Amino acid sequence: MSVRKKIAGTLLYRFGFRDAKLTVFEWLGIGFLCAVAFIYLYPLIWMCDSSFRPMFEIFNVPPALFQKPIWESVQSYSLTSYVSAFTTHNVGLAFLMSILVTCAGIALTLIVCSLCAYGFVYLEFPGRKVLFMVILGTMMLPMATMIAPAYRVISKIGLVNNPLGIILPYAMSAFGVFLLRQFYIRIPFSIVESARVDGAGHLKIWWNIILPLSRPALAALAIVQFRVIWNDFLMPMIVLRSEHFFTLPIRILLIDSINFNKPYDVIITAGFITALVPMIVFLIFQRHFIEGLTGGVKE
Amino acid sequence: MADSVAQKKKHKHNKNYWREAFSGYSLIAPFMLLLLIFSFYTFAYGFYQSFRSSQGLNPGDFIGLANYKEVLSSPTFWKAVKNTFVFTGGCLITQIPVAFVLAVILNSLPLKRVQSALRAAFFLPVLINTVVIALLFRMLFNPDQGIVNWVLELLHLPNTYNFLMDSNLTMPLLIIVSFWQWTGFHMVYFVSQLQTIDPTLYESAKIDGAGRIKTLLRITVPMMRPALTFVVVTSAIGGLQLFDLVFMLFPNASYGPGGAGMTMIAHIYDQGFSSQFRLGYAAAVGWVVFFIIFIFSLIQLKAFGFGSNDE
Repeated sequence: MSVRKKIAGTLLYRFGFRDAKLTVFEWLGIGFLCAVAFIYLYPLIWMCDSSFRPMFEIFNVPPALFQKPIWESVQSYSLTSYVSAFTTHNVGLAFLMSILVTCAGIALTLIVCSLCAYGFVYLEFPGRKVLFMVILGTMMLPMATMIAPAYRVISKIGLVNNPLGIILPYAMSAFGVFLLRQFYIRIPFSIVESARVDGAGHLKIWWNIILPLSRPALAALAIVQFRVIWNDFLMPMIVLRSEHFFTLPIRILLIDSINFNKPYDVIITAGFITALVPMIVFLIFQRHFIEGLTGGVKE
Repeated sequence: MADSVAQKKKHKHNKNYWREAFSGYSLIAPFMLLLLIFSFYTFAYGFYQSFRSSQGLNPGDFIGLANYKEVLSSPTFWKAVKNTFVFTGGCLITQIPVAFVLAVILNSLPLKRVQSALRAAFFLPVLINTVVIALLFRMLFNPDQGIVNWVLELLHLPNTYNFLMDSNLTMPLLIIVSFWQWTGFHMVYFVSQLQTIDPTLYESAKIDGAGRIKTLLRITVPMMRPALTFVVVTSAIGGLQLFDLVFMLFPNASYGPGGAGMTMIAHIYDQGFSSQFRLGYAAAVGWVVFFIIFIFSLIQLKAFGFGSNDE
C-alpha cells in the first residue's frame, strides 16, 4: 500500500500536480484526455501483453489481461513465442536485415543530400535555380504509382534481389535536400569563405565545418528517414526475392501467409518487435522526432 | 552571401568561375544521378512500357493505346478509384476535426509535463509499421475472438458485425483503422502550430470581452489555416496512395470480401506483381492514377488559395 502511495506521490510530483491549482474544468480535460489516450493505446497494450502469452490465451474474450487481477494474470507469461519467432521463423535475421537496410539508407541519405544542399548553397553554377526547383517539384510525386517501371529499372541495373535496390532509392530524398538547404543558408557565409581563403577544398569544408555545424538538421532528417525506411513495405516486397534478404515487414507477410495452423503468437511477437524499435527510438529522441516530422515541414 | 554570388556573376569568363561551377555540379551529381534513374527515367520508362504488352521480364510488343483502353473500361479500376476517394474523403472528414479539437484541448492544459506525455501517447501509432497495424486490427476485429465485438457487447450495442467479411463494412473498417493510425499525428502537428500563435492576441481578445468559443472561431481557426492546408493536402495525397493497410488487413491479398476494398495502388500491384505480372498494363494504370492524383492535388491547392498569396 505504502509503495503504491509513494509511486502515486512521485507521479503527482513529477507531473507538477502538487503545486498547480487546477480548476474543475482543467481536471475534466486531463481526465478526458487520459481516458482517450488509454483507449487509443489499448491495441498496443494488447499486442505487448499477447506477445508473452501462450496461443490459447491470446484470443480470450474478455482479454486474458482483464480476467484475473494483474499479478495473477502475468503468471502465464513466457518467452515461448519469442523463441519460436527467432528459431523456426528467422525473425532474428529479418531484424538484422531491417537494421542494416535502415542504417545504410539513413547514412546514404545524409551524405547524398548534404552534399547536394552544400552545392546549392555555397556554389554558383548555371542552372542552379532551375535544378533546385526541379528537385522541389519531385517532393510530392506519388512514386507508388510507378512500381511497375521501377521494378524494370531496378532489374535493368541488376539490383533486383539485392538490398541496394531499395537502399539507393531511399537516398533520393528531395525533402532532405530542402531541409538541409534551409539550415545551411542560416550558417554565416563568411565561415566558408575564410576557409576557402585558407586553401581548403569544398569536400574538406563540407566534412570538417558544415556537417558538424548542421547536426540538428541532420538528426531531424535521419529520424524522418528512419521512420520511412523502417516501415517501408511495398518496395522491399517487390525488390527482395530471397528469404534471407527479407526485412521485418516482409518476413511478417511470409509468416502470415501460412494458412494451416497460422502461428498468431509468432505474428504478434514479430509485430511487437517491429513496432518496439521505433517506439524506443522515439522515446530517446522525442524532441527531434516531433520537430523532424512536424516542425521541419513548416517552412 | 547574395553579395558574393553577385560578384562572381560579373566574372563569368573567369577561369575560377567555371572551376567553381564544376565543383558545384560534382557535389550535386550523386543526388541528381539517383533522381535521374529512380524518378525521371522510371517515369519515362513507365510511359514507354504503358504502350507495350510487357509481362514480367518479357518486354512484349508495341500495342498502341490498348492498355489505356483496357484501364478505362475496366470495372475493377473504376471501383478502385471510387473506393480510394471514399476512403480519402472519409479519412479527412473524421480525422481532421477530431485532431483539431483534441489539439485545442491539449494545448489549453496547464501542466506542460502532462501535455507532453499525452502528446507522446497520441503520437505512438504513427511510428508503427502499417503491416503490423493491419494484422493487429485484423485480430481485434475478429468476429468471434476479437475485442471489438466484446466492447460493443459491454456497451449494450449490437455486436454481430463481421467487419472482415461484410463488404458493406470494408470501407468503414479501413477508415476506422486509418483514423487510429493518423489522428494523433495530425493532432501533434496542430499542437505545434497552436504554440506558435502569439499569446497577446488571446489577451487582447479577453480584454475585449470575447468568450472561449468566439476566441476559438475568430483567432485560433484563422491562425491555423496554413497548418490545416498542409495537413489536408498531405493526408489526401497519402490517402490516395493507400496500399499497405488494405493489402495486409484482409488475409491472402484478397483486398476485402470480394475485393470490396480494392484501391488504385492495390490494382496496380495486383495486375503487375501478383499473378500474371502484366507490367505493361500496370504501368498504364500507374500513369492514369498519377494523373488523377496530380489533378486532385492541383484542385485542392487552388481551393485553399495556394499560390495566390506570397507563398
